[in-house]
Amino acid sequence: MYYQLINFGNEEFHAYPDKSLYWKRLNTLIVSDLHIGKSISYAKNKQFLPPYDTKEILNKIFVSLDKFKPSNLIIVGDLLHDVLSTLSLKDQDHKNLSQYMKNTDFIWIKGNHDKNIQIEGFKNFTNYKIDKLLFTHIPIETSLFQICGHYHPKVKISHRGKTIFKTCFIHNEKIFILPSFGILTGGLDIHSKQISDVLGKNNLNIYPVGQDKVYKL
Amino acid sequence: MNINKSNPLLLHPLNKWMKKKKWSWFPHQIETFQHVQSGSDVVVFAPTGAGKTLTGFINPIDNLIKLKNFKGLHTLYISPLKSLANDIVRNLEKPIKELDLNISFQVRTGDTTPYKKQKQKQKPPNILITTPESLALLNSYENAKEFLQNLKYIIIDEIHTFLDNKRADLLSLNIERLQTYSPNLQRIGLSATLKNKQDAKKWLCRKKPKIVSYQNSVLPKIKILESKERIPWSGHMATYSINEIYKEIMKSKLTIIFVNTRAQAEYMFKNLWLINKKKLKIAVHHGSLEKNLRLKVENNLSKGLVDCVVATSSLELGLDYGDLEKIIQVGAPKGINRLLQRVGRSNHNLNTPSKAILVPTNRFEFIEAKAAIEEIKKNNLDKIDLKKGSFDVVAQHIFATACAGQFDINDLYKEIIKAYPYKKLKLNEFKQLINLIQDGGYVLKNYDQFKRIFQLRENKNIYKLVNRRETRKYRMNVGTIIENPMLKIKLGTKTLGNIEEVFIQNLSQGDSFIFAGQVLEFQSMKNNLVQVKRSKSLISKIPSYSGGRMPLSTNLANSVRALLAKSNMWDLYPEQITEWLKRQKNISKIPKKDEYLVEQFPRKKNFYTVIYTFAGWHANQTLGFLLLRGFKEFNYKPLGFVASDYAIVLWSIKEVKEIKTILNLGLLDKHLDNYLEETSIVKRLFRDNAIISCLIERRLPGMEKTGKQVLFSSDLIYTVLKKNEPDHILLKSSYEDAKKNMIDYDRLREILKKIDKKIILKKLTSISPLAVPIILEINRENLSKKETDEYILEDLENEILKEANVLSIN
Repeated sequence: MYYQLINFGNEEFHAYPDKSLYWKRLNTLIVSDLHIGKSISYAKNKQFLPPYDTKEILNKIFVSLDKFKPSNLIIVGDLLHDVLSTLSLKDQDHKNLSQYMKNTDFIWIKGNHDKNIQIEGFKNFTNYKIDKLLFTHIPIETSLFQICGHYHPKVKISHRGKTIFKTCFIHNEKIFILPSFGILTGGLDIHSKQISDVLGKNNLNIYPVGQDKVYKL
Repeated sequence: MNINKSNPLLLHPLNKWMKKKKWSWFPHQIETFQHVQSGSDVVVFAPTGAGKTLTGFINPIDNLIKLKNFKGLHTLYISPLKSLANDIVRNLEKPIKELDLNISFQVRTGDTTPYKKQKQKQKPPNILITTPESLALLNSYENAKEFLQNLKYIIIDEIHTFLDNKRADLLSLNIERLQTYSPNLQRIGLSATLKNKQDAKKWLCRKKPKIVSYQNSVLPKIKILESKERIPWSGHMATYSINEIYKEIMKSKLTIIFVNTRAQAEYMFKNLWLINKKKLKIAVHHGSLEKNLRLKVENNLSKGLVDCVVATSSLELGLDYGDLEKIIQVGAPKGINRLLQRVGRSNHNLNTPSKAILVPTNRFEFIEAKAAIEEIKKNNLDKIDLKKGSFDVVAQHIFATACAGQFDINDLYKEIIKAYPYKKLKLNEFKQLINLIQDGGYVLKNYDQFKRIFQLRENKNIYKLVNRRETRKYRMNVGTIIENPMLKIKLGTKTLGNIEEVFIQNLSQGDSFIFAGQVLEFQSMKNNLVQVKRSKSLISKIPSYSGGRMPLSTNLANSVRALLAKSNMWDLYPEQITEWLKRQKNISKIPKKDEYLVEQFPRKKNFYTVIYTFAGWHANQTLGFLLLRGFKEFNYKPLGFVASDYAIVLWSIKEVKEIKTILNLGLLDKHLDNYLEETSIVKRLFRDNAIISCLIERRLPGMEKTGKQVLFSSDLIYTVLKKNEPDHILLKSSYEDAKKNMIDYDRLREILKKIDKKIILKKLTSISPLAVPIILEINRENLSKKETDEYILEDLENEILKEANVLSIN
């Protein structure tokens, strides 16, 4: 998998097409908005989505962990979709997770979806500061550089008479928003009010995620 | 007359009214009456103007009068369109009111108010006029049986419009339900003339099946517009003949111009106004227009307040417009039945011929128009292919059944396989569909505590709805028609109609397009509303509507081939057409009726292969994709292809030498699965399947997602499901739908079975006259969605990089 180099907050990050971000200097892997167990919480309302999302998300994260063997895994919020989601984590999943936790520090920043949920072995934070960088689910008032999730940004691209939507990494000078690492999670247009209110409209760096490559616009 | 003496209808309650109107009974009406009286289910085939609607009601009215003061629902009348249902009420009202018969009748469609529906449930009318969707809803009510158990007759109007689609599947299941409730129910079908009458009979009739047929002896007068202008090689807009079309409109009191797509309608309308020196009243009518705008046009039509209406198939069925003198069909007829239906609109009296003028928009269409006229003379109609019923419709029906109350799955299965489309539905398929409704039907049983229906503990065959709240979800999801995501167009505060979201996404602020006959300028899109203003410019994009492509009927295609081969006819054609064909004969060949001409020639550094299949666009499109794969295998480096109704052209870097080896049945068997996987066809159909089977919810008013989000999430579901559970019933269902509808599998199979022995290969030094139209259609990349996405991103990135380099150098 090829990565795209992104400079943010005087640091270098590698953006991967699996929607993870790797911080090489500190051997840290960063993901956001996994929404594990979204299918099961939809099933409560009788919307029967295929119940394979949890398995696929975990497999995806395990592949990345195997590859980087990172010191830290930072989850920038919404690891779980809601309280019901814990039902979709089977015993074997918990075993696998604790196996990985032996070598990697799991830093779980709480999002709006999972703020009241606990999982054994996970350390919880409302936000997490490393040097001049602050990891937080939703951006806050601060002079620090912030890396966030929450918005599931996607970008509308019109080119040569065709229009497509693509999930993307996006940042301005001070705020970086990660795409959703989930499987059944939709997206929000980066020009929507919610995202504009956070990032503004100008000087945006947008990195659409393709099949095997992260592009730079 | 003798026949009158033995005519049992002389004693019919309506006879007095007929006499007053100085009308006499048609023989097919007498025959239908007698068959139904003796207990038969009947399908009646008759052309427009032969009292078809009345034919359906003869027995119900007679029976109701005999029964005196019958309480409750006696007869259901199913109409394919809401607007037609309203027309029927108006027509029924006249005799019943004038004769003061003690018969109540009402309409019930999606437009009926909840209050009125409630009243209908409390005090049902004797005759209820409704649509297949409203019938399905009716059957889903808890007291449905009570309401429907004394039903005597069901009349299916315009049954020919139902037979080959999912609405037919839905209707067939609901008719069987009615039959269960009311075993004595009799079925009466009303149809336009069909070639395969037996199929319609098999679909509808159970009790002593009978066919009644009325053949019109007066043929319609159809001619091709004589134009002094050059008929273009390709294109579909008929701009060349606009002045001549205008002259034809002036000659008649009222004309309908039928076109094949909504884009054509808008374009034709605009062009007519540009030359409208006599200030004729010209209107436009198509399915995307706001209902009130449509109703206004329809009203003006029936009052004779307009001179001409440009319309799509939206005006094919419906009221009789007394002043309508002439039909102009612009563009290829595409099928005999369709053309007859359209031409028949100008027919008010069975003894006078209806009049129509055909305007081909390109040279192939000229041949097609000519062929259609020949076939109509021979009364050689198109066949309607009955199709195996779709799985998703059964799933929806299971949900509906559960809404009506607890049910025994064995009883339900037995009832379903009585319906013609589901004769071959297997028990295990049915059980998978039960599971689909229960909890999504996944192998991984994750949703045990969240089921929608559940088995009773004391009897595992009985299923019951978990929660009455679910009925509301069913009711929001009922029906088989899935519209493309549409957005409302607003001019100021006025709504003009709906337009495909995909089209709007490609517009930028200030872009102009034609809609509702006006050139509009795109301003903004907010909350799913497209705000526009009137544009001053005359240049515009044309709305490109995806629903516009009509399939070319096999029957007409064969006739086109036959006609093309008849060189003795050529001299009767306009000189330019004759020249075109003669040159083709000299340079290459005109294929015989059963031959498949393949031409190959170099052009602009590439190598071209043109195959004349006359298989229709769907089959040709599929064949194109398959041949791309075949060519790749032989390392011919194919670059792309374009399909039309008549032919496909592929271009490649290397010369294609083994075309006879590649072009055969093996091609289909080897590459079809791959092809389906890589294109978005199955994915698109999966969305429809997921909605129809109620796996995901349809867009609901008030809580609307944008269509894009619906599409997005069904795409995600498809991808996850395909990866984890490729045998899931909804994937199977989508795949079968693709085979049935989108890729014309059977037609292609038939052709490929025999093609290798009948290929006539012509190696040419340059393009042939016959190939010019299709070569002119080469204008787009033919890449799959996935490839296109990557291509766009890559290209855009490169452009930006280039720009950046230029900047840094400067």
